[in-house]
Amino acid sequence: MFLAHVNSLQASIFSSLAVLSLLLTFVMLGSHWLRNYVYAFAAQSWLIAALSASVGYFAGYPELYVIAVLTALFRGLVLPYLLMRIIARLNVKRELHALLQPSSSLVLGALLVMFAFVIANHMNWQPLLSAHVVVLALTIMLSMKFLGFLMLTVRDEAVSQILGLLVLENGIFLGSQILVPGMPLLIEIVILFDLLIVVACFGMLVRFLVVHAGTTSSRQLNRLVG
Amino acid sequence: MILSNVLLQILQVLCVLSLAPLLQGFILKTEERIQRSRGPSIFQPYRDLWKLFHKQSVVPESASWVYLIAPIIAFTAMLIVPILIPVLTDRPLPQSNMGDMMGGGMILTLGSFAIILAGLDSGNVYGGIGSSRAVMLAILAEPTLILVLVGISLLAKAMLPFVVNHLLLSSASAYWSPAHLFLILAFFALLLVETDRLPIHSSTHLEIYMIDEARILEYSGPLLALLKWASMMKQFILYTIFCNVFLLPWGISQLGTPFGQFGSVVALLLKFLLVALAVVVVETVQSRLRFYRYQEPLAAGFLFAVLAIVSSQLL
Repeated sequence: MFLAHVNSLQASIFSSLAVLSLLLTFVMLGSHWLRNYVYAFAAQSWLIAALSASVGYFAGYPELYVIAVLTALFRGLVLPYLLMRIIARLNVKRELHALLQPSSSLVLGALLVMFAFVIANHMNWQPLLSAHVVVLALTIMLSMKFLGFLMLTVRDEAVSQILGLLVLENGIFLGSQILVPGMPLLIEIVILFDLLIVVACFGMLVRFLVVHAGTTSSRQLNRLVG
Repeated sequence: MILSNVLLQILQVLCVLSLAPLLQGFILKTEERIQRSRGPSIFQPYRDLWKLFHKQSVVPESASWVYLIAPIIAFTAMLIVPILIPVLTDRPLPQSNMGDMMGGGMILTLGSFAIILAGLDSGNVYGGIGSSRAVMLAILAEPTLILVLVGISLLAKAMLPFVVNHLLLSSASAYWSPAHLFLILAFFALLLVETDRLPIHSSTHLEIYMIDEARILEYSGPLLALLKWASMMKQFILYTIFCNVFLLPWGISQLGTPFGQFGSVVALLLKFLLVALAVVVVETVQSRLRFYRYQEPLAAGFLFAVLAIVSSQLL
């Protein structure tokens, strides 16, 4: 396995990129403005693309360069552009009635990161330096998944829910880049196109909701039903 | 030919002394250029200082000796700090270990403390307001500064800025470690606050927004020149720390030859160009924060510093 003999420079670069992308998840969690979510998501995708490229460089997987370019292109440019279009059409600029205030959701997020660290620490069996990177990658992967779920549960705008889903997916992608860098290229491409379709479907759904229900907030939609 | 250590240390101080107005002039000029106006010449701060030194000094009747001595303390403090940090050479100089990073931080703060006292002493209303605001900012900014210094000393296992510079030069893994990157972010937030830049300090000095300018509103003539020069030097020193100890540790003379010194001055100016451009971008895109939102950029800086310490301990 490539991570078993990682040197200290590689460990630093991987952990910096991973930690910075976790930080951007917290930026998303701590902000009310939909536009900020999208910017943070785009920046996070660029960081993950840089991570793929650096793993590809250090571990000698040339196909990871292709994945890096595709990630930067799709997750870093196309998806944010589509989301921005949805937001522009919605005329909802910020999350007004989130279940939790940003500050308390940040605290909850921190607790979830600790939980992820405990789990990752239990799953680790490797020695020394590679253990740091493995535990860190697992922690960040799990905590980005948890934070994505948290965003899905406490926010009720449709766009924030898409973004929650995308963050969750980014977390898995980040973890897979570090932990199993030799994943076949085809699967990665399939995932990328899946995401594109998810966002396109959401765009259609949002448009439908705006026309027929007049709102995209899941809370108000609940009230209409019940 | 290798210059003697004493000469090198004097050169470091002289470099800060003579180039500090140039940095200020460059930032002001670039800001104006970005707003598509012409802006003052980058040598304007030198002319201002020259003008002020040739004017008469007026002292308010209510002022005591504190008022007269404060500019001299502030100016002297800024002359001491360049001895402690690698400005032109990263060879450990003989007097550079007379104070560690905490000592340097204390001397920097001593200068602003003297100005706060003088603002209160002058008896002017604005002086009082400025001092009160400056103290509030200091309360918010000092913990971050201390944590950043603690974080970098944990990273380098030493309290001397020269050692940090050597570590970052020699080990790429230390440079790219998350702890170091977080420290850079934290120090950048601090740099904006401490050098009177926008998220907190207003770029136009109107009485309601003034913080640092309000404290020295009563000063005139040579004393005002000393204060202005001291604040420019403080800016230069913080930029030097940011570049040579945190962000860009390259391009410093190691042997101490005259040519090497010249090269490091050029490299220093190039590095400052980059940092100043980043600062100017922040100043252009950011609007001034409300008084009760001052803690937000500083809290972000504090958070980064805490994260840096946590990650330097965990990873």
